[in-house]
Amino acid sequence: MAPASSIPAAQPLPGDGEADGNGEPISEGEALARLRQCADQSHQYYAAWWLGRNRSRHPEAVPLLITALQQRRPRDPLAGVEENAVARNAARALGKLGDPAAIPELLAALDDEDDGLREAAARSLGELAAIDAVAVLLRRLASGPAGAGATRPDSPRLQEPCEAMLEALGAIGVAGCDVIAVIEPFTGHERPLIRSAACRALLQLSGEARWADPLVQLLDHPQLQVRRAALMDLGAVGWRPALEPICRTLAENSLKLIALRGLVEQGEQHDASIKAEVVLSAMDSLL
Amino acid sequence: MSVEMNTISDHIRAVQQADSSQAMLDATSALASYNHGERANGEAIACLVEVLGFNNPGAAVAAVDGLIRLGPVAVQPILESLDPRNYGARAWAVRALAGIGDVRGLELLEEALASDVGPSVRRAAACGLGSLRLEALEPQPHAAVRQRALAALLAGCRDGEWVVRYAVSVGLESLGLRLEPQPQEHQQLLEALAALGQPELEDTVVVRLRARLAHQRLQPMPPAEAQARSTIMSEAQP
Repeated sequence: MAPASSIPAAQPLPGDGEADGNGEPISEGEALARLRQCADQSHQYYAAWWLGRNRSRHPEAVPLLITALQQRRPRDPLAGVEENAVARNAARALGKLGDPAAIPELLAALDDEDDGLREAAARSLGELAAIDAVAVLLRRLASGPAGAGATRPDSPRLQEPCEAMLEALGAIGVAGCDVIAVIEPFTGHERPLIRSAACRALLQLSGEARWADPLVQLLDHPQLQVRRAALMDLGAVGWRPALEPICRTLAENSLKLIALRGLVEQGEQHDASIKAEVVLSAMDSLL
Repeated sequence: MSVEMNTISDHIRAVQQADSSQAMLDATSALASYNHGERANGEAIACLVEVLGFNNPGAAVAAVDGLIRLGPVAVQPILESLDPRNYGARAWAVRALAGIGDVRGLELLEEALASDVGPSVRRAAACGLGSLRLEALEPQPHAAVRQRALAALLAGCRDGEWVVRYAVSVGLESLGLRLEPQPQEHQQLLEALAALGQPELEDTVVVRLRARLAHQRLQPMPPAEAQARSTIMSEAQP
């Protein structure tokens, strides 16, 4: 059972169940029909989410989502942003469906004015391991923490969605000197979530243990949100030497289990001296 | 006796008077780790059960740990406290009953695994169903409880969340290890684990690995076959 140091929440957690707004069950045919029509954008929004969540294999799913992604408009705060909300969900869904046909339109979205859309596109290009995205991501991050990573004057958001872009570079896996050189300055960013994303990418690309140390330290950060991010990042890399610190972290068991799943599934490439059975037994004790 | 009662009364009062979520967590932890000795204190149990409904996850974890330490004596108060309108309290009650393993919790665990909206609750229920304490039961209720737990776990193999299917594998393993069930039940259990271990039927690698490990632990093998199977854990890349 749960040790006293952990905090499994009783309410649904991040990743704990359905996250849709108007979630009545619909069929794949209904989802495609809702995405095809243009009159009701809230229907399109839900349909795009549905197709991604259910990993639709229907031949019309990807073309319809690409069309929905193209519906975006230049941002106008007075005009409402419904099209971009649909476009963002379409971008997210395209990452989950795994079809490289979506890459050109997602690449175009990386240069969109809407940073929320750039964020969704970056994550999906990472999921698709789109090598073509590396050059654009590097260009947008090249100005470093003081440029791309600077806080906007009008909002707490950064100039670029740095976290998503750094994670995408790590996921795509091109480990050139130019890539490392652009990512490394972000390990000194003032925000711990950005440092965590940068270390995660560098650890994935280089496999060098020095990038794991800051991640393990973030597991002790006073903010739960930061500890959660570091858990997810170590899990995404599959860094098995972090097994003990992960188990000790003050966070929900649900998130530790996701991190340990990563250690089992991705971990053999880093440290095969810690056997999968050991990680599985740690998972058993967190159930 | 009076000294002991004063102490535990003090602990209960500290929980009742806590005026911040940290104070609540500290007071609950102190009460939960209190050594109740031979006589479990009804007021202390009632107080811990009440904490489950306070929407304070840290304190609820401590209270669940305390109730699990108290064991079977806490089961009836937990069951009586169940409030269908307080989802959070119910979820924590499932976790406590899963940890205690008392068969009186069977129905709630079945229900939770089948239909609770929170995967973390379904996952606790699956573990609990696998580790119910059946040793003291007469043969007839033993068989009935065993069959219901098995049926609930077999249905849980189709859960939509990987972590629940993982917990079902663990639950099936502990059920299979402790029960020496009828040949037919044993066969059903092994077939379910074998299905969870197949890439065509289960898409999450870690679930497949755990199910195969459980299958291996439940099935005694001749040495040659055992050696061939020792490679099952090498499927680490998705």
